[in-house]
Amino acid sequence: MPALARKRDWTLLILLVPALAYFLVYHIIPIGGMTMAFQDYRIIGKSPFVGLKHFKMLFASPAFLQVLVNTLIISFMKIVLFFPLPIIFALMLNEVRNSLLRKFIQSTTYLPHFLSWVVIAGIWIAFLSPSSGGINQLRGIFGLPPRDYMTDKSAIRWVLFASETWRSLGWDSIIYMAALASISPSLYESADLDGAGAFQKMRFITLPELLPTMVTVFILNMGFFLNAGFDQVFNMMNDSVISVVDILDTYVYRIGLLNMQYSFSTAASLFKGVIGLVLILAAHQGSRKITGKGLW
Amino acid sequence: MVLVPMLNLLALSLSDPARVSEVRGLTVFPKGFSLVNYRVLLANPLFMRSILNSVYITVVGTALNLLVTSMAAFALTRPKLPFKRFFMVLIVVVMILEPPLVAEYLVVKKIGLMNSLWAVILYKTVNVYYLIILMRYFEEIPPSLIEAAQVDGASNMTVLKNIVLPLSKPALATLGLFYGVFHWNEYFRASIYLTDPMKYPLQLILRQFVVLDDTASLIGSGALFSYDEAAQLSYDALQASTIVVAILPVLIVYPLILKYYARGVMEGGVKE
Repeated sequence: MPALARKRDWTLLILLVPALAYFLVYHIIPIGGMTMAFQDYRIIGKSPFVGLKHFKMLFASPAFLQVLVNTLIISFMKIVLFFPLPIIFALMLNEVRNSLLRKFIQSTTYLPHFLSWVVIAGIWIAFLSPSSGGINQLRGIFGLPPRDYMTDKSAIRWVLFASETWRSLGWDSIIYMAALASISPSLYESADLDGAGAFQKMRFITLPELLPTMVTVFILNMGFFLNAGFDQVFNMMNDSVISVVDILDTYVYRIGLLNMQYSFSTAASLFKGVIGLVLILAAHQGSRKITGKGLW
Repeated sequence: MVLVPMLNLLALSLSDPARVSEVRGLTVFPKGFSLVNYRVLLANPLFMRSILNSVYITVVGTALNLLVTSMAAFALTRPKLPFKRFFMVLIVVVMILEPPLVAEYLVVKKIGLMNSLWAVILYKTVNVYYLIILMRYFEEIPPSLIEAAQVDGASNMTVLKNIVLPLSKPALATLGLFYGVFHWNEYFRASIYLTDPMKYPLQLILRQFVVLDDTASLIGSGALFSYDEAAQLSYDALQASTIVVAILPVLIVYPLILKYYARGVMEGGVKE
């Protein structure tokens, strides 16, 4: 019955209608709205075409260049510096033999992944508070003066890094835990027979076996390099530190929805979108080439 | 390290107002015991209303997510779907192209959803990553089961409802939990689409009160001062209580998340 199997069933389209309607309103039509970047958007009447005017303004603006630098620095910290931490955490957790203790550590460290950044910001603002926070109480014990990290330009990016680690260390280690669990025990057994020590087993068995997972995770994260974490920055920034933490997405929000410079903001979005697209496609191709598995 | 900051806020929120000053940053047990902070919050109409709004957004939103996502996943996994390739390309486009925020805002405004909870509920009706996970799950269902029903004259909707969905309960439960947590935690779309504070979800009230330290928004609404103790309440303790209330529903479903996740339904899936 191959002919029958290939016959099209038009009633299936009905099931797709709600999803298509959603994509149309929240994705497809707004993507079409990118043309605004080349116009002077007017709410009433026709918006005149102005070519690359907004892009020229964008690149001439020192604020935008600072935002770009901030985005790259913060992304570098959260993608490259953070990268080894979940691996180390998974390796350490893997050595915990008591299964009850291990379950406890896992369930507590996965939890922050499910909290909103509003909640996490609230927790961290309290924990870093110069008057009553836990960190400054610790500093007091060592005789150090209290420090206000949230309003300190030299500290705030590390606050972002630390809170990202707090939120993601456990969750991001899951993929490595799975990879560790799939390493065949016979490899370790034969290494034992050959008299290999713990360090040698790590160097010649564990790390090579984890390598494909590491490469996949790293490449896929590179695809989102320009994101840098809107929700985190949005909830942790304040007027004292905005100059060092303002990233592309918070900038787009501020000039677009608060200052209502619709076309200018869309130009910034489009810039980010195009570079982001190139990065994602490169990540997809790279991952496919190296591991045979892409983003989709 | 993970628990101390959270237990500290819990301790602060439950402490006797007269002894709040004894609670330091590393304290994990309350000093004395009092529920006055929670009584004050619950007596605040804006706060109570925001909890109801959040519950409404979460329940309606998640139900809609599951319905629309599973209908689409079913259609997209049928070989007989017309223009199947076109739809698959469309999904990848949606996944990798992020529309400009301003453009989305203007579209939502144009179709008249400003200041409507629906603007918030409908956002992420279909999460493309979850859609793909569900499609993979549906593909595992033996086609013979579905064909047998179709020979008996069952419509697509009937097949989906009576065969596919019952067989996919673990996957639907997992996605439902993830969608649910997403809705409960959402604040940004609410902040740009809702203008009436009585429509705000809890996370947005929390943001104003704790992150922006805008105490007037909560304290200002008179109900607070109907309590004699109000005079000696500390803002820090009230803020801590708000955070605890916002975490509580996540804590309640968290064991379920661990259980279903552990079953490996999402193996190799979910980013975010």
